[in-house]
Amino acid sequence: MIRLEEVYKSYGGRMALAPFSLDVAPGEVVALVGPNGAGKSTTLRVLAGAIRPSGGRAWIGGHDVVAETAAARRRLGYLPQRPGVPLSTVIGDIAELVARVRNVEWSEVAASLENAGLGDRLRSTLGELSGGQRQRVMLALATLGPITALLLDEPNISLDSDGSEEVRLAIRKARERGAAILFASHHLYDVAALADRISVMVEGVVVAQGALPLLAEVAGVPWNGGEAADPPIDRIYRTLVTRGRTAGKRRLSLVRGDAA
Amino acid sequence: MSDTLALLRFELAAARRGRAAPLFAIGFALAGIAIALVGLSAGGAVAVQGFARTSVSLLQLVVWIVPMLALLTGAIAGSECHELELLASLPVSRRGIIVTRWVAWTLTLGAALLVGLGAAGAVIAVLAGTANGWRYLRLIGVAEMVLAATLALGLSIGVSVRSRLKAVGLAVAVWFVLLVGVDLVAIGALSMLPAGRAGWWLSMLLMADPVDSARALGLSLFQTDIVAGPTGAALRQVLGGAGAWALAAALVAWTLVPLALAGRHFARSDM
Repeated sequence: MIRLEEVYKSYGGRMALAPFSLDVAPGEVVALVGPNGAGKSTTLRVLAGAIRPSGGRAWIGGHDVVAETAAARRRLGYLPQRPGVPLSTVIGDIAELVARVRNVEWSEVAASLENAGLGDRLRSTLGELSGGQRQRVMLALATLGPITALLLDEPNISLDSDGSEEVRLAIRKARERGAAILFASHHLYDVAALADRISVMVEGVVVAQGALPLLAEVAGVPWNGGEAADPPIDRIYRTLVTRGRTAGKRRLSLVRGDAA
Repeated sequence: MSDTLALLRFELAAARRGRAAPLFAIGFALAGIAIALVGLSAGGAVAVQGFARTSVSLLQLVVWIVPMLALLTGAIAGSECHELELLASLPVSRRGIIVTRWVAWTLTLGAALLVGLGAAGAVIAVLAGTANGWRYLRLIGVAEMVLAATLALGLSIGVSVRSRLKAVGLAVAVWFVLLVGVDLVAIGALSMLPAGRAGWWLSMLLMADPVDSARALGLSLFQTDIVAGPTGAALRQVLGGAGAWALAAALVAWTLVPLALAGRHFARSDM
């Protein structure tokens, strides 16, 4: 599982992420949505070990991400916004590293890259691939092996509609395998279709979080809760973000749907 | 441990695939052979220069070129560490990332140096015989030591500065200071300090510079203290026979301390 307890991050006087608490249970999918600079990537990067929190604690699989780094990352899959390795990296080399760390047979790696349509590009560098192909490789590596937690930062970036479908499939498969999944996305319809709960963030502050029907209620957007794939998520999102922006310093006292 | 070894394999593969290692090997092979052959034409002798003279000539090249390439390589590899977000999410410590990078580059460039100087050595051995070959081997040893130290220093620079451009600029500046700046300070100190105290200070100054340490160590191995300059003479006066060991220890310290600082800095910094 993934757990955040009053985690915050500040750079000098600027609060990139206000104290944020969240639990993601095994087999649960939680989405982080919000405009640029909302703190979505900061949250994921704290969990992935790329940045240290200024305060609060975070756990992955019951292991503190700062104090027990190796144990926390043992079964963690992470898709950063950028590749996270130099573009001169050969795909076969990074795939071999991830496979060794997660004790995965090479045949599984090969199958995973084959599914991503890149089975014949093992000797290519990441720089030789298009943005979408690169994203497919990194997604295949993030979901490789017996992961118990999956962090995806803008997984649809650079992807065409087929690629986006692969992302949805990968998230569903990881959920079926019992992984706790936290992902940040601007693709609201994917969020509505995949996420069990949603955290709406504005300027580093979580302005609302909960299941979509609850967020609709908080936003005052009428929705009968019918077809999950076609909820008025655009309106819900815009209402909550606007409310978050205009609330100024009172944002922290906004309704937090998670408690409901 | 197996995770760190897996990371080392990855870093080794990345270092091996770069262009630096083959260029390094070819450059030093050509330089070694050229120095041996140029001596022949200049001296008008029938035989190619043997290992003794070639080693002394090559030492100057080694203390100029090896630190520069190692500092630049280390600075780039160090600044690149801040892009390794995916590696940081694996169960390997940040210090582990730094150490494996350093080991990978030291092994790769060290092997290239061995191949390059080894190829030149083979040519010299065939054409001029194997007399004094041990001196040539020790030269390679000194080259490997200064390579390891300046790579660590470069890594430390790159990790601290983050920006690749700034890291490269700073590495060049540090190279210049190590090569020339410390000698200028030594000359100034020699003229200002009383004769009785100059020796000790100059010895310390020698060990405070990995390039000068390597140069003096190389010259002491060839038993040519007379050309080791004022700092080399001072070192011999102060430390006597232990001077070579002190210089070797200084080079080891110049490896371990920057490496530790780089690891500490990287472990505490955000990517």
